[in-house]
Amino acid sequence: MAQLPAQTLHRDPQLFYWILIPITVVMVLTGVLRHYASVLMTTTPKKADIKAIREQRALAHGASLRTNYHVLSRKAFETRRDFLIEGFESGAYLKAPNQKGQPPANPMSDPNAMEGMMGMMKNNMAMMIPNTLIMSWINAFFSGYAIMKLPFPITIKFKSMLQAGVLTKDMDPRWMSSISWYFLCIFGLQFVYVFLLGSDNAASQIAQQMQQQQMPVGPMAPGQDPHKMFKAEAENLAVIEHYSVLDGIEERLLERIKV
Amino acid sequence: MSEQELQINPIVQDSVAHNTKTLTNLHSLTASLFGVGAGILGLESYYGFLFYIAFSITTSLLFYILQIAPSSLGEGRTVLDSGRYYRGALELWTSGIFNGLPGFILTWTLFYGLVRA
Repeated sequence: MAQLPAQTLHRDPQLFYWILIPITVVMVLTGVLRHYASVLMTTTPKKADIKAIREQRALAHGASLRTNYHVLSRKAFETRRDFLIEGFESGAYLKAPNQKGQPPANPMSDPNAMEGMMGMMKNNMAMMIPNTLIMSWINAFFSGYAIMKLPFPITIKFKSMLQAGVLTKDMDPRWMSSISWYFLCIFGLQFVYVFLLGSDNAASQIAQQMQQQQMPVGPMAPGQDPHKMFKAEAENLAVIEHYSVLDGIEERLLERIKV
Repeated sequence: MSEQELQINPIVQDSVAHNTKTLTNLHSLTASLFGVGAGILGLESYYGFLFYIAFSITTSLLFYILQIAPSSLGEGRTVLDSGRYYRGALELWTSGIFNGLPGFILTWTLFYGLVRA
C-alpha cells in the first residue's frame, strides 16, 4: 500500500497572533483569577457557641483516644476511657442536654449547615461560570479555523470533537481547531500555575475536582443525633483491647544493639 | 502484626503528602520543558512519546541520585531503593510520567505548531 502524502496546509501566520496567543493568555489569566477568587472567598469560620464546641471536641477527644491508645500505658488509657465513657453516656458534653431523645432538626433549617452548602456552591460556581463563558467566547469568535496540527496521529473518531466548526470532510484529524486548543489548555496548564502561584494553588480545575471527590466528612455530620454518636463512641472505646507500643521494648532494643 | 509495626514506626501523612507534592511539581515543570524540546526537534507520534518517557525516567533518576541517595544509602538501604521517602517503588519511578503528560502534550503541540507546521 502506498504511503499517503502528508497533507500540507498553508495558513496565515496571523492565526497565531490572533487566536492561539489570546486563548492561551486568557486561560492562564482565568486560572490566576480563580486562584485569587478562591483565596478571597474563603470565609473565616464563624464563632461557634461554647457548648457546641465542647460537644465537637469531646467527640474528637474520644476518636483520638480510640486511634492513639497504643501510646498510652494501660493505667493511663483506662483512666481516660472510664472518664470519657461516663461523660458520653450521661450526656454531660451535649449542647442541649434536655432534648436528648428528640429527633434531630431538619438540616436545611440549621444555619450552620446552610453555610457549608453555600461554600460548596460558591466553589462550583467559580468553576462553572468561567468555563461556560470562555467556551461560548471561543465558539463565537474563533470557530471555523484549523489552527494547528497535533504532532501525533489520532483516530478518525476525534475528528468531530477536534474540528468542530471546520466542515471539511477529508481533512486529516490531526488538524485541530481553536476549541481543541482550549481543551489542551484546560488539561495541560497545571505547570504554569505551579510556576506562577506555587504548588498550593487553587487555579487548576482538574485538581479541584479530585479534591472534592475525596473530601472527608466532618466529625459532626449535620442531621445526626449527637447523643447517639456519643453512645456509639462510648461503645467503641469500651471494646478496645489495650496494648502499648512499649510492650516488649526491652527485647526489641537488645535485638537492635546486638552486634 | 503489621499494624503494630506501623504504630512503632509511624508514618506521618503530612510528610507523605509533602514528598509526593515535591515530586509532582518537579515532574510537571520538567515535562513542559521536554515538550518544548520535542516540539523544536519536530518529533512525531511514537518518537515524541519515547522521548518523553526516556527523559521523565532520567528526571526520576537524577532526583534519586541528588536528593534521595545520600541519606538513603547512609541508612543502609540498597541502591535504587526509595523506601525512605516513598512508600512504593512505582511512586517514584513512574507516577511522574502520568503527572506531566498533559503539560508535555500542550507544549509539544504548541512548539511543533510554531516551528514546523
